[in-house]
Amino acid sequence: MMTKAEILELIAKSTREIIPGLEGHVFKASDQLSELGANSVDRAEITMMVQESLALTIPRVELTGPKNIGELAELFFAKLKRA
Amino acid sequence: MSLVGIESMNVFGGTAYLDVAELARHRKLDSARFENLLMKQKTVALPYEDPVTFAVNAAKPVVDALTPAEKDRIELLITCTESGIDFGKSLGTYVHHCLGLNRNCRQFEIKQACYSGTAGFQMAVNFVLSKVSPGAKALIVATDISRFMVAEGGSALTEDWSFAEPSGGAGAVALLVSNRPHVFQVDVGANGYYGYEVMDTCRPMPDAEAGDADLSLLSYLDCCENAFLEYRKRVDGVHYRDSFQYLTFHTPFGGMVKGAHRTMMRKMVQAKPAEIEEDFHRRVVPGMSYCQRVGNIMGATVFLSLASTIDNAHVAGPARVGCFSYGSGCCSEFYSGVMTPDSQARQRRFAIKRQLDGRYALSMEEYEAILRGSGGVKFGVRNVRPDTGFISGAYESGRGKGRLYLREIKEFHREYEWSS
Repeated sequence: MMTKAEILELIAKSTREIIPGLEGHVFKASDQLSELGANSVDRAEITMMVQESLALTIPRVELTGPKNIGELAELFFAKLKRA
Repeated sequence: MSLVGIESMNVFGGTAYLDVAELARHRKLDSARFENLLMKQKTVALPYEDPVTFAVNAAKPVVDALTPAEKDRIELLITCTESGIDFGKSLGTYVHHCLGLNRNCRQFEIKQACYSGTAGFQMAVNFVLSKVSPGAKALIVATDISRFMVAEGGSALTEDWSFAEPSGGAGAVALLVSNRPHVFQVDVGANGYYGYEVMDTCRPMPDAEAGDADLSLLSYLDCCENAFLEYRKRVDGVHYRDSFQYLTFHTPFGGMVKGAHRTMMRKMVQAKPAEIEEDFHRRVVPGMSYCQRVGNIMGATVFLSLASTIDNAHVAGPARVGCFSYGSGCCSEFYSGVMTPDSQARQRRFAIKRQLDGRYALSMEEYEAILRGSGGVKFGVRNVRPDTGFISGAYESGRGKGRLYLREIKEFHREYEWSS
């Protein structure tokens, strides 16, 4: 199973694909997607890309709530453990 | 075979509109990000326009095209809205009165956020199919206006205002449903519905909206997928790419539809980006044109998109349209029907594009004056006479078009008048 750090890296990779200009950005757990320039459509897209990479089949609405990408990685990690 | 569907349909996109690119500049929104919204204009309700005037202005041309005998066969009137003006008395009572419908007509108002239009439509379809009153027609009017205020405070439910403001519109769509489905013949029984409790967007106060944009988007996508999967379970041999020549979506803003289509094409068809882009332009874009000019009109939006599809599609023969409707809270449905070249010829008689072209262009100053509530009618107002001189150019632009406006609220009772 993936570690939290690996999930965080997956989130960073998806974010770079959706938001241009983040190639040189060093992602931290406290980064907020909105502050990186992701609007709500982008945020949904990033979340779904990570979900698909993890082959996690749960309702997408269960993936809202995290305030930063660290919390999002925690949430994915918890869902994976339960899957 | 049981024939049922839309006999005729008309859109009313209001009296005045705002150029949303201008709004984005004024609000200093990032221009590249703003373009991803895929919005061009939005209709703005004037102080003397309310959900009743929008509804009647959409339905009047549909009803006027009927003979007196046909008009008397309208035995069901459902108004579909989340912009109600009274908790008890339905706005349909005014619509019934202003249209001069038969008194032997069942009428009521329904609510389920942006799904309300589909809810009303499906009830009408079943009323016709039941043949309890053979030959009877149903008039379904979905009508909504945006509330300009956003509920303040709280941490979870705060609208992403940068999206909500450019996309919130005002308008109505009227559908005449009968056993003569000239415009859109329903595929009977081909319905996939899907819903559950979720607090995504709502109107918990009389004149304000609240919402969680991220949650709403994800819920829309969950429903888009699951409603279609249920449809596919019920209809043999369905393929997301090949079974429908066109797709119409509930369109909060164009960018959201583009994202939903991309997700569906990836998941259902395993399509690659180039194919998705081509498919989007061919099957989805025709239905986005009117939505991009009117904005989100909630319960009526999916039919605004259907009207846009029928008017703008290349229809050489019968063509199947897949429709996805979503209403926050939530309930959703994927359903389908068939249009023909005759559908298009009939639909184009209402000249919806020309009507949208004829709207009054608001300046930012005028729009801001409306936002500040100058002369606006809030929920629960007991007595008021809206000033038709407020943005007089807009009122003047409606002259000679036979439009209904709100003249006065007298002891809570709304009185309307036709423009001369």
